[in-house]
Amino acid sequence: MSGTQLEDDISRAQKQHSQIDMGSEWQRLAPISIAYFTASNIKQFAQFLIYVIPALAISSNVFEMHSASYLISAAVGVVSLMSLSGLISYYFYFFRVHNQHIEVKSGVLNRRHINLPFWRIQNVKVEQPFYYRPFKFASVVFDTAGSADEEAKIVAVPLAYAQKLKKHVLANTFDAQNGSPDVPTAPFHANEENEEIVNQRSMKDLIIHGITNNRVWILLGAAAPFYDNASGYVFSWLQSKGLNLDQLLGGESAAWWQVGLYTLTAIVILTALLALLSIGGALLTLYGYTLSRDQDRYIRRSGLLSKQEVSMKQSRIQVITAKQDWLDKLLGRVNLYFEQNTTGTEQHAELMSPSKLLIPSVTVAEVRALVNGAMPDSQIYRIKYKSVSKQFLTFWLGGWIWPLAILLISISAYHQQWQEVGIILAVSIAFTLILILRWWRWGYGYDQRYIYVRSGRMGQDYQCLEKYKVQQISVVQSVFMQRKQIATLKILLASGTVTIPFISEKDAWEMANSALYAAESSRKSWM
Amino acid sequence: MEINDFSNEPVLPDQLPDARVVATHPLSTRYRLMNLISVVVIFSILGIGISILRFQPWLQLPTQLLSVYPLALGVISFLGIWSFAYHWFADPLIRYAIRQQDLILHKGLVFRKVTCQPILRVQHIELKRGPFERLAGLARLQVFSAGGSAHTFEIPGLPVTTAVQLRQFILDHKDLDAR
Repeated sequence: MSGTQLEDDISRAQKQHSQIDMGSEWQRLAPISIAYFTASNIKQFAQFLIYVIPALAISSNVFEMHSASYLISAAVGVVSLMSLSGLISYYFYFFRVHNQHIEVKSGVLNRRHINLPFWRIQNVKVEQPFYYRPFKFASVVFDTAGSADEEAKIVAVPLAYAQKLKKHVLANTFDAQNGSPDVPTAPFHANEENEEIVNQRSMKDLIIHGITNNRVWILLGAAAPFYDNASGYVFSWLQSKGLNLDQLLGGESAAWWQVGLYTLTAIVILTALLALLSIGGALLTLYGYTLSRDQDRYIRRSGLLSKQEVSMKQSRIQVITAKQDWLDKLLGRVNLYFEQNTTGTEQHAELMSPSKLLIPSVTVAEVRALVNGAMPDSQIYRIKYKSVSKQFLTFWLGGWIWPLAILLISISAYHQQWQEVGIILAVSIAFTLILILRWWRWGYGYDQRYIYVRSGRMGQDYQCLEKYKVQQISVVQSVFMQRKQIATLKILLASGTVTIPFISEKDAWEMANSALYAAESSRKSWM
Repeated sequence: MEINDFSNEPVLPDQLPDARVVATHPLSTRYRLMNLISVVVIFSILGIGISILRFQPWLQLPTQLLSVYPLALGVISFLGIWSFAYHWFADPLIRYAIRQQDLILHKGLVFRKVTCQPILRVQHIELKRGPFERLAGLARLQVFSAGGSAHTFEIPGLPVTTAVQLRQFILDHKDLDAR
């Protein structure tokens, strides 16, 4: 770039910046925003009304309100109150764009003062309600990684300024993040030849994936022979409580066992269909699955009818999760997820979600290779996992499940309801077994760079996270845990929380302190 | 980065800065008072409200509703006493600390929770003041990081001047500029 061009660029940037910056004076919105506030107040009121309508309907019957003429005046009153509140909201709203920060002061009773640095803004939306259009106004919504409902909003600015602000902030953001946001892009990149294929899935793998990911239905199908007995039991139990299904279903036309048989057949067919559907779904979305790598970027392509492409920068991976449910375990397969920032992005179906990159039904050997590619030197399967303290069981079983069970059992026994005693006992034992499995599976480990967590009940999940990516850390300890020198560690990542319960206090603090140190001393971005 | 201020000494686990040994500060003493008063006010209004509804002479209420009245009053007073006691004991236990690189908050009555928020990971900051807080001259400082609003780091019950100073400290922090 030549000298003059560079100067041009700089002066243009400065000019643009001076146009964006409003100085330290607090600004009021354009008066058109009163319409906006009124509209949003009415919208909120309408949402509230939906819940109140049943109550209103009942009371209008009781008090014979529907004939009253004051209803109209009441409606008029409500609307004018809304506009008044719109006016008040307008008077209490101030904003400024200054020193690369967006600041908003708002609220009448609950005052809020938001500070939002430009470079922490993930996305900018310019919205134009219909009543803004004739006046060329717009509202600007700023997404941060914080959360969807806590975004900042400048309610009414001239459209031209909104566009300029958006452009400026986004340019700033993508300078900082050095790339575009991770959204599904059109397939077939220009530089496909630079890519190196990391993993591919065959038809067989996808059929396995289809089967293993609808385990519940298969289980239901396998349990079919017992439906008859179970339904008979439920039926007689309901009958003993005075509820007669025969009467409900019209006992004249069909005996209850016929109904039972129909239901059973229907369920079996449905189960088979669902299993097929699941395989079909897996094939449809995952057909021709390839995961390739272009320098620091993972790209997955798949799809039978419409080919989809999702790309994710390696540095954006917050945690790697290797999920293995009991059926996966039997077949020796693992579902591997690369998880990134979940907030701020819209909800997607899990398979195509840009926040979770799925590598379906890979073998354990492949997991090692994949994990090492994304998180070098990770010891996800090699590290010796320390188990969680037995206090976990003491707390849940001794503190919650069994006291509650014993209470319920004694109440039932007092009323001589022996069937209920049996049911409560069975449920508590089931909970106990699940908790014991959970305790047995739960383990943790750490090294210089990573923290590892193992969890699960029947299946087994492994997670690996890089220490410097922590967002926030909590250590929780009850009075009893303190006495036993045990604590629960909660690590907040941009992709969600990772909890390691009831571990030794020393380890919890060692992990907490070292993770904080890794983040604060490296000053590396989590994205 | 300048090469001069770069250092990379090995750090042993027991040399790491420990978030446990930091001296912490209490919240404003008005914070507990404010909570106690608001509990009393809110629950009294509720109790008096349903009592007025119960004993007013103008409207005939269904007998079922009348029979629920003692129970409702009981529940309201139980909840009121419960939250009063909770604030009485739990509020003084909330303490905070500021380190060069992070904010620390201690809270909880039975389950003591120590939360640590690196300033490097702060996305945006908010100062919030509800009606009761404005009467008491207090403010809440909320610090948002990525990972969901359920985990917003919040220091409640700060005197307004302290809250504003704290916000400025975070805004001026060099790590907030890390991109």
